[in-house]
Amino acid sequence: MDQEHRGTWFGFGFCGFGQALGSGLGRQVHSPEPLRTPGGNLDVCSVSASWSYTAFVTRGGRVQLSGAASGAAGGCTDAWASEELLVLLRAGPGDGAELQAWAPGSALRGEPLWSQAVQEAEGGPSRDETQAGPLPLLPCARAYVSPRPPFYRPLAPTLRARRLELGAEHALLLDAAGQVFSWGAGRHGQLGHGTLEAEPEPRLLEALQGLTMAEVAAGGWHSVCLSETGDIYIWGWNESGQLALPTKSLAEDGKTTAGGLDEDGSEVKRVSSGEDGAPAPFIAVQPFPALLDLSLGSEAVKVSCGSRHTAVLTRTGELYTWGWGKYGQLGHKDTTTLDRPCRVEYFVDKQLQVRTVSCGPWNTYVYAVEKEKS
Amino acid sequence: MAGPGALWEALQALLPRTKEELKPELGETAGGSVAMLLQEAAELFHGGRRRECLQACEALLDYSWEKLNTGPWQHVDKDWRRVYAFGCLLKAVCLCEPPGDTASVAAALRACDMGLLMGAAILGDILLKVAAVLQKHLLSGKRPAPSPSREPPSIKKARDDHVPIPDVTTERTVPRLHCPSLQYFKKHFLVPGRPVILEGVANHWPCMKKWSLEYIQEVAGCRTVPVEVGSRYTDEEWSQTLMTVNEFINKYIRNEPKDVGYLAQHQLFDQIPELKQDISIPDYCCLGDGEEEEITINAWFGPQGTVSPLHQDPQQNFLVQVMGRKYIRLYSPQESEALYPHDTHLLHNTSQVDVENPDLEKFPRFAEAPFLSCVLSPGEVLFIPVKHWHYVRALDLSFSVSFWWS
Repeated sequence: MDQEHRGTWFGFGFCGFGQALGSGLGRQVHSPEPLRTPGGNLDVCSVSASWSYTAFVTRGGRVQLSGAASGAAGGCTDAWASEELLVLLRAGPGDGAELQAWAPGSALRGEPLWSQAVQEAEGGPSRDETQAGPLPLLPCARAYVSPRPPFYRPLAPTLRARRLELGAEHALLLDAAGQVFSWGAGRHGQLGHGTLEAEPEPRLLEALQGLTMAEVAAGGWHSVCLSETGDIYIWGWNESGQLALPTKSLAEDGKTTAGGLDEDGSEVKRVSSGEDGAPAPFIAVQPFPALLDLSLGSEAVKVSCGSRHTAVLTRTGELYTWGWGKYGQLGHKDTTTLDRPCRVEYFVDKQLQVRTVSCGPWNTYVYAVEKEKS
Repeated sequence: MAGPGALWEALQALLPRTKEELKPELGETAGGSVAMLLQEAAELFHGGRRRECLQACEALLDYSWEKLNTGPWQHVDKDWRRVYAFGCLLKAVCLCEPPGDTASVAAALRACDMGLLMGAAILGDILLKVAAVLQKHLLSGKRPAPSPSREPPSIKKARDDHVPIPDVTTERTVPRLHCPSLQYFKKHFLVPGRPVILEGVANHWPCMKKWSLEYIQEVAGCRTVPVEVGSRYTDEEWSQTLMTVNEFINKYIRNEPKDVGYLAQHQLFDQIPELKQDISIPDYCCLGDGEEEEITINAWFGPQGTVSPLHQDPQQNFLVQVMGRKYIRLYSPQESEALYPHDTHLLHNTSQVDVENPDLEKFPRFAEAPFLSCVLSPGEVLFIPVKHWHYVRALDLSFSVSFWWS
């Protein structure tokens, strides 16, 4: 275990229910602010944010809720927050683990809605790269949790799932060989098979065959994956530019709003132009993966998606965000919606390297450390 | 023009008295957080904290909008549509806080229309009432519409104006009947599923005399409606957008439009009840099993040249022509295979063939499929039997009203 600089968690975007985001004042935070978690400075190691509340898990195994749902509990190795359910993975009495689903309004008091023993992954609770990723995928990789019944959903063992992410109506799975599968509704092209048809069962993304993926992320209606070489593949709905492809704008070009909404609450979108300055052809839906040709400076290593925005982390610790920005979730000090990636300058200015990014539907949480002096 | 204070009072009079009543009737679906936010919005509104209320409304609108876009529209829980409507209501009223300038009131009307388009009825159809008040206020401040010299005769047409009017004399035409009895229609057309043009049935409806571009702009000009942009819905560049009726007319009907825009398949008469006074329900609809309230009435308003690709609908249809003429071709459901429907779920009711310019190499059987055709003129009603394939092209600036019934 290498000595890691103790870093800080930051948050920006929607906090209309008082979720601990920065100062927690007001309903939106437009620029990253250090987290002030309830109960003081907790040693947060992971964050799972739903729309109206956020769950923080500490290194000490404590889960702390903030926002419309409150409460705390110990013995917790992972948490997954959704509006319908809060799912916790807790160390069992023996060497097993227990999966618990709580009503968010329960404040973690009383009994969970349901619980069951689950197989712990081999090697104990500390996860490394090769093991099955966080919830909603279970450590044994044989099943995943869904916020809607049936809550416990088995996965074919042949899938060898490593990561699983859920969108509003689709699911993405990354397997041990770096292949990506998708299933669910496809109306917005989010499945990536080139059509708008639904898929009832996990289906391999043929367009990505031959490439080895390292990360996947699901937004509300879009999907992203990163190859081991740091390329970004993206598909699905582009109505807010969340695919970093040109999107039809409903507002005037070039206008920015600072500190709030327009009088009539309209959002402002900045539309990218083609090379000759004419508007590029708009893309509303991208039904199969597109390789994003972005000069980010270095390879993409982590990705997370909100409902309608995307955040990508590079190897050199820079954070890029794009898509829906109405609640400040892009972190660019305004509420502009963008259809091209922009670096979050806050971390560059403060000489911080971003190490983790985790998006809630309308906000973004980031873990950053001070740059090492060379 | 009535002052902004009068507008505010008129709106207050429409709202429930107490803040406890200021909420949509909801079931269990929306959940605790939404209920919290709804309550907060009502409290902020009653506390006169308009700006914060607007922020709460935006969150309600954005969250319910996401739900409206999850799953097929028919399966969206009505509670989400109610939440959306409620957000639109409070937003609209907040925007009219004195001194409400014209831009704010127009934005408020737009918010009402969004609630009417995507929301569900709440608080006794309050959005319709609020919209009517706002519309009246906006119109009372405007000068009358520009002079009639810009009316249909001088509507500038698109550049490539060779409007091929098909020579229907070489095609088999849809039979015409003058006011057949209910029994005759049922026996000879409804039951066997045969198309027919009914004359003398709708020709005296008020819309036939009253409707013109000018009248439509008067009654509906500032209202927001969905518009389809693009030659046909099977095209890649086709899209849907929202704009006011005035914007639609200025961009897609007057002034040499660059693109085709079509105010198509929109339940305009639910949105603007005043227009409903100008039409009736054809008597023959009573031959169906359904209730009158279940009949879907759609407006189809657009320039010369709009095209609806060959497709079929799951209900019986009376297509009433009000302004302009339409060329319509009809194929029996028995010919479906020769019409090469798309094999996707989304477009399985749409043919792949471009009726007036078919690719006969790709779709050879199409050439042999028998059909009926007609030019439908103002005052006439076309009966399109359920599942009957139909293709429609507007030969002039056109307004049709369709009645889908079962």
